[in-house]
Amino acid sequence: MTSLVQLTGITKTLKGQGRDRVILDGVDLTLLAGESVAVLGRSGSGKSTLLSLIGLFDRPDGGQYLLGEQDITRIPERRAAALRSAEFGFVFQRFFLLKHLTAVQNVSMALVNGQGWLPRRKRRARAMAALDRMGIAHLARHKPPRLSGGEQQRVAIARALVREPRILLADEPTGALDTETGNLVVEALRATTDRGSALVLVTHDHDHAAKMSRVLHLTDGVLAPAEVAS
Amino acid sequence: MIGLSGRLRSSLIIGGQGIRARKLRTLLSMLSLFLGVLAVVTVQAGSVIAQRALLADIEMTAGKDGTLQVFLPSHPQSAPVAMDTVRGRPDAVAVTSSRAIIGEPDVRPINEGGGPIDDAGGAYAAGPTMRCDSSGVCTTTQEAGEGDQPPKGQAIELTLQGLSGDIRQFRPFRQKSGQWLDFGSAPSLAPRIVVNTKAAEALRRFRVPAELWVNGAVANVTPRIVGVVEDGGYGPAAYVRTDELLNWMPAKALADPNFGGAQLMMSPAAADLEQILRSRLAAAGANVDELAVQPVNSLEEMADQISLLRWIFLGMAALVLLIGVAGILNVGLATVGERVEEFALRRAVGTPRLLLAGIVLAETLLTGLLTAVLAIGAGVVGLKGASWLLADREPFLADVAFPWQAGVAGVIAGLVAGVLGGLIPAVRAARIPIATVMRA
Repeated sequence: MTSLVQLTGITKTLKGQGRDRVILDGVDLTLLAGESVAVLGRSGSGKSTLLSLIGLFDRPDGGQYLLGEQDITRIPERRAAALRSAEFGFVFQRFFLLKHLTAVQNVSMALVNGQGWLPRRKRRARAMAALDRMGIAHLARHKPPRLSGGEQQRVAIARALVREPRILLADEPTGALDTETGNLVVEALRATTDRGSALVLVTHDHDHAAKMSRVLHLTDGVLAPAEVAS
Repeated sequence: MIGLSGRLRSSLIIGGQGIRARKLRTLLSMLSLFLGVLAVVTVQAGSVIAQRALLADIEMTAGKDGTLQVFLPSHPQSAPVAMDTVRGRPDAVAVTSSRAIIGEPDVRPINEGGGPIDDAGGAYAAGPTMRCDSSGVCTTTQEAGEGDQPPKGQAIELTLQGLSGDIRQFRPFRQKSGQWLDFGSAPSLAPRIVVNTKAAEALRRFRVPAELWVNGAVANVTPRIVGVVEDGGYGPAAYVRTDELLNWMPAKALADPNFGGAQLMMSPAAADLEQILRSRLAAAGANVDELAVQPVNSLEEMADQISLLRWIFLGMAALVLLIGVAGILNVGLATVGERVEEFALRRAVGTPRLLLAGIVLAETLLTGLLTAVLAIGAGVVGLKGASWLLADREPFLADVAFPWQAGVAGVIAGLVAGVLGGLIPAVRAARIPIATVMRA
């Protein structure tokens, strides 16, 4: 399988008052196309920091980050923005839907980001297709306050998928959902790997983690394979 | 180019969405800015209209900008030579000035000296009449032994200007009633005259007999008043075709040096006339060194007068505008504070920092532009209203058009306010850390 992401010896230290705190201490991770990876760990263990480094929200202090064969460890912000748009999709615990936009507008907002230009009709068609994939095309004209938590998260997943990213990063996407809805959302996320995307799911839920092809545990800044009872 | 266009469109789309989502805030921003932009529009419109009105008045008395005024030597042959030289030329008009009285014969006119009729006998009334001869020696009527003054009577003294052609191409008089002199028809024995509004008012107030005495004329004539014009003058005046006047007076008596003598008004294209005139006047024995050519430059003179006032008012308008900018800035900063997550999310989906700043600027620019449109609309409506209500009292407001300069100034003011008010919020929006969404 093709290696999409390869992290080698990644370190990250957060500057604090008085003393610095090592969050990632030599993390190695290889992400393959069509693979789903769950990352477990205690609160504050650095799971979200790892995700933000993979998603180019932040840069590592040390180590090497290869995207495909491209070294993007020290990539400038302008190129990082272009890569975030082209390669990554993001799903967050809080859905971050814009209340003043409808579901379809929330999805198509990811297409109005200054990285290329699509006419309105094409934007709408792609957004509708993404919503359809999530099974909520009938809610396209609804604004977020009229949607349930599960529906909102599926709109958020549709927004993450609308650019057809190769890597989907989900940061505790079921944290604000009940068990049943959470299961549906995780299943929807996992299904994206069927098309060759890679998924990194940060979660506290072992049941959800067990549904991924690989489970890793982040402890003391080090990422290691974990045993999960399904 | 495509990238720029995409970003521009993106910022406009997202900016428009932002405005629609926060209508009340946008309205409050617009309210704070509205007065400032309206002040700029009003000052600019006011100054342009005032300039137009002043210029129109000055043009009536001094002539249009660029017109060449030729002051002829004080010589009996000056007027006949000038009239003969410009005959048949559409680009020049000879103007002679004489003293004339309409009303009872052999009486002292109500406004002796030809001053404004409202001041006749008042604090600014003319004293004893002063007369100067062609050599420049002046004496009053009393000094000249004319102590036995005739009694005051029902007569109006005015300046009679003889015209060789249509002078309105140089001095655009406003026709108030009747018609202007017809230079195309055969000259009439009974001179047709057009009086100015001051003379018309005097004739309305004092019912004087229709008998016209002209200084130097061989007989009194019965004038036919065919029209009334606004000529911008302060005293009563009348205009007549010179060829009709010549039926009653010798050409040498046409120009009275005490009433302005003779002059020529000509377009800049007729500059060759000056040389011809010099040669012919020299041949007639006139001292051509006394001939002076002066271009009319009203606009420049007036601009100096009006510019200081305009800058003072613009300064005040800028202050009001500054308050509007502070309003936009305040609302903009508060809005960015509220939208931290939205901007972080937009960065997460690949929106560059520059575009985020552009989105905020687009919102404030659209707000400024919208405000400018409203302020300009208010200006247009206000001017229409003022024109409708006050046109009778202030003639310059009649049919006055909204000056495009004021519209441009309003749009610029709105855009500048949008940029100034949106710049700091835009920079703040661009600096929002992307990881905000991860930590939320």
